[in-house]
Amino acid sequence: MAIRNIRTEEDEVLRKRCREITEMTPKLATLIDDMLETMYEANGVGLAAPQVGILKRVVVIDVGDGPYILINPVILETDGSQTGGEGCLSLPGKTATVTRPNYVKVRALGRDMKEYELEGTELLARAICHECDHLDGVLYTDKAESPVMDTEEYYETYQAQDEE
Amino acid sequence: MTEKGRTDVREISLEALLLILEEGTLSHLVIAKALKKYQYLDKRERAFFTRLTEGTLERVITLDYVLSACASIPARKMKPVIRMILRMGAYQLLYMDSVPDSAACNEAVRLARKKGFRNLTGFVNGVLRTIAREKEKLLEKLCDPSQTDLSVRYSTPEWMVEEWKKAYGVEITEKLLKASLEERKTTVRCCLDKASREEIVELLKKEQVEGKLCVWPSYALELSGYDYLEGLPSFQEGYFVVQDISSMMVAEAAGIRQGFQIIDVCAAPGGKSLHVAEKLRGTGYVEARDLTEYKIGLLEENIARTGLSNIRACLWDAAKYDSTWEQRADVVLADLPCSGLGVIGKKNDLKYRITNKDLEELAALQRELLTTVSRYVKPGGCLIYSTCTINPGENQENVAWMLSHLPFEMESLLDYLPEELINSLTTEQRKDAKEGSLTFLPGINPCDGFFLARLRRR
Repeated sequence: MAIRNIRTEEDEVLRKRCREITEMTPKLATLIDDMLETMYEANGVGLAAPQVGILKRVVVIDVGDGPYILINPVILETDGSQTGGEGCLSLPGKTATVTRPNYVKVRALGRDMKEYELEGTELLARAICHECDHLDGVLYTDKAESPVMDTEEYYETYQAQDEE
Repeated sequence: MTEKGRTDVREISLEALLLILEEGTLSHLVIAKALKKYQYLDKRERAFFTRLTEGTLERVITLDYVLSACASIPARKMKPVIRMILRMGAYQLLYMDSVPDSAACNEAVRLARKKGFRNLTGFVNGVLRTIAREKEKLLEKLCDPSQTDLSVRYSTPEWMVEEWKKAYGVEITEKLLKASLEERKTTVRCCLDKASREEIVELLKKEQVEGKLCVWPSYALELSGYDYLEGLPSFQEGYFVVQDISSMMVAEAAGIRQGFQIIDVCAAPGGKSLHVAEKLRGTGYVEARDLTEYKIGLLEENIARTGLSNIRACLWDAAKYDSTWEQRADVVLADLPCSGLGVIGKKNDLKYRITNKDLEELAALQRELLTTVSRYVKPGGCLIYSTCTINPGENQENVAWMLSHLPFEMESLLDYLPEELINSLTTEQRKDAKEGSLTFLPGINPCDGFFLARLRRR
């Protein structure tokens, strides 16, 4: 396993659409392991393949209850909404306000290439939406409802709103 | 995606384990405090924290063996924080199927880095990857008596294993140790003055709780499917009392008759006192004593819940003699402070904490207390001595001491205990019960480790 370079904002790869995955290969397994390691190393809660320069539809997410691996994820259902600060490992140190559904149901393949469904609320729901967007070349800044600010500055400015 | 101020459950667990194992704070207090502090975490995260903390604690000796086998230095020589991170990592790798190996390793590395051991992250990674790779072989080794001893396999100090072997033989010792690692269900005593056992099962069913009928005694249930027992209306209205079935046998052994004057010298939280009070059917009197205001509070709460009127909670130190009870009691219940080695399955850190010397000191304290409280028994009345340990030094040896120093004789338990229980005893246990004492053994009997003896005053 290895830590890969996280591509940042100006890298074109972040703006491309990723390809479906058809089979599990040793290469893909290594990619998944590396993505997890890279995400943990960077203190992230989610990472999509294009962020390490690979245009494949796979994301890893861990909001604290162990990792989820989603291959070819498709969002089936959403409900409610949450508005709050969001950041991305490809835009280090930045944050902006984004509104996301508060509940998400997603269908994907796991590491074993078996189909499963995952439901998430709050942070997990936000992470699923954020990572799935990456697979279509969408960044959270495209959806931001506030200026993209330095994280510290953002939370100083919006703290009061966040706590409502 | 990034998350500001993400709460790291493994870090909370690490802090808790360091408090318990390095600083000697009691595990149930530490865990309860952490769960209270992190109430905002969702149910799954809280469950993960509890499982990881309790599980690691339960298997420290086993995990240290694994670490020593997979690292270049023995576990005892590692830095405490690194050793704890490795133990937690090894626990997740070996015993938590829901955690992928990569997550267990990566999170441990991250935690080590966060705790300021950047230079040791390679070491942490190396040891845990080795464990992950050798997992099957290690687990096999931990099941194989020819490769690992009982102490390592069941994470119990060697001296304690030796004590059990001496007292119960190898075969029973292994069963005991195995049972101490298994999850035990909560049992409750139905308050039959309020409803029948079947009616209470129905009540529980409406609250989405399953109550399974225990084989013995005929008024006990094994509960499952509840989240917070104390929150159930059936609990609050006093339809049942949480009590292990072994401890329910105290009231049986006491042979309660109407009008009895009873004193329970170490009563909190009150399971046995309430049981004998119920058996008095509104007659007689039970004085339920304990040492601290906190415990009296617990007793009063439980008495109020059950609504019994022939029982009172009193603050009194059992070590202090009370002349007003001299030769007054028909029954004295003496469930004395003990090493608790019958319930190590429920209190995981106890087995590492206690020493042989503690056991001797406890036995001496118990003899002192027995000398004092036995004076309350009236001639012909009886004293039920009980403990929640399976250490013979605190049990049979104390009874033998009593017989030779105090005016008491043992009385057979066979006339008092439920038939179903007697039929399920081993030959050895039945012999003891006939003489007047009984040691319940987890793994042999379907309950906690527990001792009781019936002693009649001449």
